[in-house]
Parts: sequence; C-alpha cells; structure tokens
Amino acid sequence: MSVEAFYAAIGGNFEGMMARMRSRERVLRFVRRFPMDGSFALLESSLEKGEEREAFRAAHTLKGVCQNLGFDRLYRVSAELTEALRPGAMRMENVPELMEKTREGYRQVVEAIALMED
Amino acid sequence: MEDIKHSAARLSETEGPFSSRGLPKKKRILIADDSDMNRAILADMLEEEYEIVEARNGVEAIACLRRQGTDIDLVLLDIVMPEMDGFDVLKAMNQSGLIEDVPVIMISSEDEPDAVERAYEMGVVDYIRRPFDALFVHRRVVNTIMLYGKQKRLAGMVADQIYEREKSGSLMIAILSHIVEFRNGESGFHVLHINAMTDILLRQLVKITDRYPLTQADINLISTASALHDIGKISIPGRILNKPGRLTPEEFEIMKTHSSVGAQMLRELPFYQNEPLIRVSYEICRWHHERYDGRGYPDGLVGEQIPISAQIVALADVYDALTGERVYKKAFDHDTAIRMILGGECGAFNPLLLECLMQVADTVRDGLGLISLQQTSKREMSSVVEELELYKELSSSERIFEQMEYERTKSDFLMHSSDDPVFEYMSDTGMITFSDAGARLFGLRELTVMPDKEPSLLALMSEEERARVVRAIGETAPDQPEGTCALLLNIGGRRRPARLSYRAVHSSGHEGRLTGVIGKIHLEKQEADDER
Repeated sequence: MSVEAFYAAIGGNFEGMMARMRSRERVLRFVRRFPMDGSFALLESSLEKGEEREAFRAAHTLKGVCQNLGFDRLYRVSAELTEALRPGAMRMENVPELMEKTREGYRQVVEAIALMED
Repeated sequence: MEDIKHSAARLSETEGPFSSRGLPKKKRILIADDSDMNRAILADMLEEEYEIVEARNGVEAIACLRRQGTDIDLVLLDIVMPEMDGFDVLKAMNQSGLIEDVPVIMISSEDEPDAVERAYEMGVVDYIRRPFDALFVHRRVVNTIMLYGKQKRLAGMVADQIYEREKSGSLMIAILSHIVEFRNGESGFHVLHINAMTDILLRQLVKITDRYPLTQADINLISTASALHDIGKISIPGRILNKPGRLTPEEFEIMKTHSSVGAQMLRELPFYQNEPLIRVSYEICRWHHERYDGRGYPDGLVGEQIPISAQIVALADVYDALTGERVYKKAFDHDTAIRMILGGECGAFNPLLLECLMQVADTVRDGLGLISLQQTSKREMSSVVEELELYKELSSSERIFEQMEYERTKSDFLMHSSDDPVFEYMSDTGMITFSDAGARLFGLRELTVMPDKEPSLLALMSEEERARVVRAIGETAPDQPEGTCALLLNIGGRRRPARLSYRAVHSSGHEGRLTGVIGKIHLEKQEADDER
C-alpha cells in the first residue's frame, strides 16, 4: 500500500500533510514513527488505573500527534475523548464508548502502517 | 582600491556584533513537549539551522532553563504536559526574569483559546498551532530569534554607548576640576564633596517645596555643573591663591574676580552656548558667591534673583570649605560647621535651603565621609585612564554577561564536585536543587519541584526533624544568615546522624525577605550508627 492509499484507508488527509511537511520523505518518516509513540499505551494504562488527569494528558497528546500527522479520523475521536476527560468538564459516562472508538481507530492506523510500502 | 575595500570589510567585521566571539554560533532552541513525536517533527523542521535541546515535561524544561539560561535563544513550549505544565514553566521564567530575555513561542491547539490568552499575559511572544506547518514553524522561529537577537544587541549597544559617554563626560569634568584644585592646593575631594552635597540638598529641596520645578535630570545637571564652580581660579595668581595668611583688601578684590572670570570663560566658549550644562555652569560660576541678603559678589543679586543652582552650590561650597583644611585655616568638625552656617556666620542663605541643610545634616556627614573612602583610588588620574582602557576591551554588557557566566560555571562546578551533598532552595519557585552526590545518596532527582510533596524527600527525615530544620532556617536574618544543626536522616533504611550547615540569602531592602537557602549536609562516621 502506498502512503497515499494508507492515508485514504485510515481516513487521513495526505494532501494537507504534504502541504505542511513539504516532503514525501518526511511524511513517511513520521508516519513510521507513530507506533513508537507512547501516548496511546499511557492512555490505556492510566484509564485502567483510574488516573483521570494522566488519561486526559495522554489523550491530549495522542490528539496532538494525530493532528500533526493528518490522521483526521483518529484525531476526531481522540479529540472527543480528550474533551470528555478534560479536568473541570469531565463526562466520564461518555468515556468508555469514546475510548472504544479511539482504540479501534488506533488499531486500524497501526495495522495499516505495517502494510505500507515506500 | 581593492585594499581599501578589504580593510573596510575587515573593519566592519571587527566592529560587528560578533566581534569578540568569532563566528556566530548556532542558536539554541529548547523544545518542551511531552510527545516524542511532536518534538521529533519540530526538531526535524529546525535542526538544520539550530541546535535543539529537548524537554519531555515542565520540570525538565525548567531544569534546562536554569542550567543554560540565556544560552537558550528560544523556547517552543507545549502547554499540556505532565509533572509541570507550560504555565508552570512560564511562571518560573517570570519569577527568574528569564522571560525578558528568552522568547517563548507556545504550541497550542485551536480548542484552547483561553490558554493562548493566558500564555500571552504570561509573556509568550507568539504561538504556533497544531498541525505543524514546516514553513510556518520555520518562519516564526527565524523571525522571533532574529527580532530578539537584534533587540538584545541594540539594547546592549545603547547601554554601552550611554555608559561610555557618561563616563567620558564625567571624566573630562573630573580632570578639569582636578586641574583647578591642584593649583589651589585644595583636597582632591572638594569637587566630589560639592557634587554629592549639591545632589543631596537638591533632592531634599524638591521634597519639601515645589517652588523650584526641578526634574531628576535638572538635579543631575546641576550636580555635574557644580564641579566647574571654581574654574575661574586658574586666572588668579598662585601667590594669592595659596597665601597662608589673610588676604589684603587688594588681594581679596583680585580673588573675587574668579567668579566672573569663570563665567566669562564659559560665555566665550565658541560652541555649545545653548547646552544646558553650559548655561547652568555659567550660573554657578558667576553667582556662587552671591548672598541671599544682596551683599555678595559680583552682581549683588538679592534673594531669588540668584538662580537656585548657584544658591545650592554656594551653600555646599561653604560647608565643604569649613569642614576641610585650607592654607589659611584648620578644619572644623561637621557639627560646628552646621552651627556656624545656621548661625549666619558664613554668609546669608535662603531660609528654605537652611531648612534642607538641617534635615539632611546627618546624610551629609555620613555621605561625604563615604566618598573620601570610595574615591581614594580614583584620585590618581593614571588609574582612571587605566580603567578606561579596560572598558574598551570588553563592552560593559559583555562584561556583566561574562561575569554571570563565570559565576554560574563556578557554582555549578563547586556544587557538583562536592562529596558532601549540597543543595540550593529558592523560595520564589519553591524548588530544591541537589548536587549529583546529594541526588544519588538520597535517591532524588537533581531538581525537586514540590519538596513538600516529594516522597523520597519526605522519607529522609521525620516530621519533627523537618520542623526543626525549617525553624532553624526561619531564625536566620540578613545579619545572621548562617548556622548549623544536627540531623537524623533515614538513608537506605538506616538512621544516619548528619550535620547540616546552611547559609540563607535575603533580599536587599528593608524587609530582608528570605529568598533562598544554600546548604551542605555532612554525614557523621558510620560508628555512630553502629552504637545505636
């Protein structure tokens, strides 16, 4: 799968990413790094432990990374999750569903990256 | 032609902002963001031109800023971070004043408008939004660094220029009046005393009355001009000037011409007639022997006809003449001199000025004494010139900078080379920094942000022990800043007796607020432990 096809498959915005990064090589380099980013794992573990503040920060970071990489679909769900976890405006009742969506989106992206060719 | 071009190029090179530092080094950017990915993207966009330093959270960012200070040329700061967030970093930068010198660009998302506003209030200069746009990030960074660098260099240049000018200006006046005094056989302090006393009296005068609308600049001007009050004396023959006994009426008439001659000398200056310094000096030269009752010379002016500048200098001159030794008289002490002036034995003065003199008499006595001590070394012109030479080599701002750099290196070295744990506490940020040895021994990080919430630090001693240390340090005062106390520490599950030596630092000024504590912990020998 080409990097264009990858972006199409995960509901991302390749054109926007290219416009910002100005080089295909750079885009590839960063996309490949995504599975190494620890924010999703931190989000999972802190939610498990009930550490809501930490979960908020992790979700916020994941959202920021997705935004930077043009992973629009995953960005949208993680943004919703971030808002549900935001201190002072927390809506815990929405968290399980949003977390499930985020988990699904994340899995999709990571799997697709593994299938991506140069 | 080629030669000229060549040397011109060389000239501008040596005078340029990078003159003494060789090639401009790569500017350094601190990227503080908790996501490796985001840091990597930013670093990738910037690392070709800039040296990148990374921090994963607020604590690391603050530690880095503390260590490197203004060696950091720009901070890219994320707001939501663990440990301490971007606002905490901004707070620390505000407390240390670093925010004035190191520009901060914040990284934000469009969903946090309040955060952007708050960050602006805390001194950030710009923000970049996610998703990062390479060109955009690059431009913002380049512009901000350029602008700040330019501003910093300009500020430094202006400060240097003012400093140089002020210095050479007062140096010229000092030389000139020194020549006059040299010939008079007066103490070299006369001019300095008159200068200081004029300043003291004028400050008091504007405090007690608004009859004379004098600004701070006017006061400085009059004080500076006061140095020239006796320049006319160079026209007086030496045998009269330095005659030990009383002057004959004829000799006195000649002596009296010094005020009008001095004024004339200034009037005949071919240039600068409109300079305030010349105008004020003229007033002082001509009328510093007038009397408030109209019986002075050369013009017999009465009361407020005499410019306030001349009135003040006349009073300062009389005081200093009384308290100093002259060929024709011994020195009177301060109290006698004040009594004689107030008693009208040495001329007639504006009652308001006499009131000022009474009010500042103590300051005058203590202040002028201090001048004699401070300025002694500067009396020799050669030393002043040498000093000037030194200043040329290093501009003043660079000098201060290098001094600070040196101090920082020194304290860093001393702190980290000590085997005994050393720590530093700063009250404004509430943080404690431990030396390498200390951090290792106590299982702490070098920088502890919230000491009262840090488990490893709390475990180190019992609550009573802690209270005792806090009390001991609280008992320090600006005049009693040091102390030691015994401690029982829990290290590696064992109780270890130790001795804490501390030095508190207080702010200058009246209250002398505690601003920090530097301390050293010395562990007693193991035997003590075994006995237990």
